[in-house]
This record gives sequence, structure tokens and C-alpha cells, in this order.
Amino acid sequence: MDVILHALPLMIEGAVISLLITVIGIVLGSIIGLIAGLARLSKVKLSKILGTAYVDFFRGTPLFVQIMLIYFGIPGLLNSLNEYWISVNGNPLLSNTSMNIWVAAILSISLNSGAYIAEIFRGGIQSIEKGQMEAARSLGMTHVQAMRYVILPQAFKRVIPPMGNEFIMLLKETSLLSVIGFEELARKTQLEVARTYASFELWLTCAFVYLVMTFTFSRLVDRLEKKLETE
Amino acid sequence: MIIKVQDLYKNFGSLEVLKGINCSIKEQEVVVVIGPSGSGKSTFLRCLNKLEEPTSGTVIIDGYDITDPNTDINYVRQEVGMVFQRFNLFPHKTVLENVTLAPIKVRNMQKDEAEKKAIELLKKVGLEDKANAYPSQLSGGQQQRVAIARALAMRPKIMLFDEPTSALDPEMVGEVLAVMKQLAREGMTMVVVTHEMGFAREVGDRVIFMDNGQIVEEGTPKEIFSNAQNPRTQSFLSKIL
Ligand SMILES: Nc1ncnc2c1ncn2[C@@H]1O[C@H](COP(=O)(O)OP(=O)(O)OP(=O)(O)O)[C@@H](O)[C@H]1O
Ligand SMILES: [Mg+2]
Repeated sequence: MDVILHALPLMIEGAVISLLITVIGIVLGSIIGLIAGLARLSKVKLSKILGTAYVDFFRGTPLFVQIMLIYFGIPGLLNSLNEYWISVNGNPLLSNTSMNIWVAAILSISLNSGAYIAEIFRGGIQSIEKGQMEAARSLGMTHVQAMRYVILPQAFKRVIPPMGNEFIMLLKETSLLSVIGFEELARKTQLEVARTYASFELWLTCAFVYLVMTFTFSRLVDRLEKKLETE
Repeated sequence: MIIKVQDLYKNFGSLEVLKGINCSIKEQEVVVVIGPSGSGKSTFLRCLNKLEEPTSGTVIIDGYDITDPNTDINYVRQEVGMVFQRFNLFPHKTVLENVTLAPIKVRNMQKDEAEKKAIELLKKVGLEDKANAYPSQLSGGQQQRVAIARALAMRPKIMLFDEPTSALDPEMVGEVLAVMKQLAREGMTMVVVTHEMGFAREVGDRVIFMDNGQIVEEGTPKEIFSNAQNPRTQSFLSKIL
């Protein structure tokens, strides 16, 4: 018990970081996802291809690999580029090629969630009856106005439950950031376990802390959903 | 002529739906389009505001050739109101917001001015007391009257109706037709696809019978309903009258 009480403040600190990175991931992911989702629905071939390629890549590869690629792969690429530049021009192109761990965490989590959110938005938009767009266009609205004032407000309501799911999934997946040493909840636990050898107690506590967060959040989403239904 | 349609063809893939429609409609005329299911009535109507893109031919609305890709279709659509079979009200907006949305966003009208006009229109369709209700709280007939008010709020010169009463319970058909009759009396140019022959007789200036993607016969309601010349018209009318 002592060992848990001793580790708890650190783990809660980690949990706050996990939550923070999840919230950032959902916010940035929503922006990316809206753009990618609309790109996939667009009539313009190129944007459709780009949107689809992005979604396919980030949904079709493990988040673990994406994190490694961004944290280690990108600096590696920049290094090679620098060496090439030096061999040609004699001086380096970039003074610093290292990747900040927060940047890597935010980038990987946002890009990953953006791909899932793009599909959520696309589904939400497609679920709105065709007649809504037609009615809006028949009144003289442009496609963009119809999207903005008629389609998206209705689609947003419908995507709240799957977005809640995505939040919970993402919160759990942020534990993968521990592989690059990003000190969220799982990493903090890992470090405490390494120090105290209290594997069972601490990992169980860690699981419990995740559970409290996901449980609370899913109840919140349920309530929001009910409220929107009655509106 | 406020509407001029020449050699209008429309295909959906390999399916030919409109096969050479020619038709002119005068200002203030009320034209009723009848015909069997699948004959292309809705498609014809939707070509008049370019909800369907014609495959070939020209459609000229109030002097604007809407088949010309350089024509600003969003501008022309402000002059052409459309009422749908399934109402298509915006469910996330109140009745008042449904009516004011396009005037505010498209016509850049001030909100209070748009609301004043909207209340007038809602009075006209007998629903000023429902201004703050949501569409889901209204009956079908009420929703369709709101949809008419919403279209009128753009001050269109032409109104298109695609089976406006077909999705309604019988007891609500009358209230919608009454609003349409009132509009016709006020001199609105109207193109109405409907199975309501009573309406066609009473307010129609002209009846167009369509079959198989073509206009088979047209004339005054009297000519069509009591003295149809074409056997296809006769056979259609014998089934529905
Ligand atoms: N978007 C579309 N894609 C493919 N085929 C279509 C489309 N819209 C209509 N059609 C076909 O075109 C034909 C004419 O349809 P349309 O809706 O114009 O007929 P209608 O006369 O309005 O019939 P109804 O009285 O049933 O409403 C039908 O065979 C229909 O299946
Ligand atoms: Mg039809």
C-alpha cells in the first residue's frame, strides 16, 4: 500500500499529461480530420487521392510504428539531408536536426487520430439526407454555404458518439508514447516499477487510473448524447 | 417567356430519362405536369434549377441560360423557389431560422429585416404561431407550408413544386393546396408536378402530359381532361380520374 501511495502523485501527474496529449490530439485531429474528410468527399480528384492516401496510411499502420517514424525516422532523414548539404555546400542546412519529444508526441497522436476522425466526419456527412443539400442549393446557397450552415451542423451532432469513442481509444493508445520515453501515465508507472520492483501493485494502479478516466468520460458522452437527443 | 426549354435531353448513365423536351412558360402561368411514375417529371423539374445537369439542350430562365457553364447558377436559383415532396426542412433550425437562413446568408439581408419578412410569410401560410418550433414538432402539412414560406422568402419569380402533397396524410392535402392556390391567384409563375387533378382543373392554365421522357400532349385543363387526343393520355387519365 505504501508503495502505491508513494507512486500515486507521480502517476497522477502522468495521467494529466496523458489527458492533455489526448485533448490536443482530438482538437488537432478534428481539424486535420475535417479537412481530410472533406477532401475525400470532394469532386476534385487530387484532393480525393491525397485524403484517401493519408487516411489509409495512418489507419493501416500501427501507431507504434508511426511514433518511431516521427521521433527517430524524421531526424534520421534530416541528418542525411544535412550531410549531403555539407558535402555539396560545405556548411550544414539545418543547425539542429533533433526532434523535440513533445512535438513528436503531438504530431503522431494528432496525425493518427486525424485519420480516424476523417472517417467519422465523412460518415457523418454522408449520413445526412441528400434532400438537405438540394434544399439548400435550391435557395441559392453555394456548396460551401450549404455545407457550413446546413450539412455540417447536423453532421456534428451525429459524430458525437463515435468521437467520444475515439477519445477513449486515443487516451489508451497514448500509452504507446512510453516507447520514446514520453512521460505520460504508462511511462511514469514503468519508471516507478523499475525503481521499486512493485510490478503488480503499480501496474494495477495504472490500469485503475486509466479506467477511472475512460469510465468518467464515457458517462459524460452518454449524457451529452441524451441531451442532444431531446433537443 | 420566363422559362424556355429547348431540346432537353437527360441521361443517367445509359438510361435516357428526358428525350427532347421543348417547352415555354409565360410569366404568371401555372403549368401542371402529369404523367406516369418514372416518366421523367421530377427530372424535368430539377433541370429547371439545375439540380440535375442536362445532358444536352438549353434551359433559359428569365433570360439566363443555365446550361451555360459561365452562368452563375446560384444567382439564378434565387429566382426559382423549389418545394419538395419530402419538405426537406432543416431539422436543426427553428421554423423562423429555416425561413431566414437563405435571405441572410445569400441575399445578405439584415437579421431583423429578414425576420420581419419571414413572419409576414408565415402569416400568409397560417403558421406565425409556430415561428419558434422545430420542424419535428410540426405535422406534415405544416412542414410543407413552412417549406413554401422558406422558398418564398427569397422572393422568387418562379416556383417549382414536385408532388408537394404526395407525402401528406389526406386530411392535410387541402391546407397545402390552399396556399398554392393563393400563390397562383397572386400571379406567381408556377410549375407543379402533381396527381391532384382538382388542383390542375381549378388553377392550372396549362396541363402537360409526360410519358417516357417526352411531352406527349399539352393543353388547357379542359382540353386535356375532357378531350385528350393522344391514346397514351387517355389511358393514363382513365386510370387516375
Ligand atoms: N439520380 C438518378 N440516377 C439514376 N436514375 C435516375 C435518377 N433519378 C431518376 N432516375 C430514373 O429516371 C427515371 C425518371 O425519374 P423521375 O423521378 O424523373 O420520374 P417521375 O416522373 O418523377 O416519377 P414519379 O412519379 O415516380 O416521381 C426513372 O426511371 C428513375 O429511376
Ligand atoms: Mg417524381
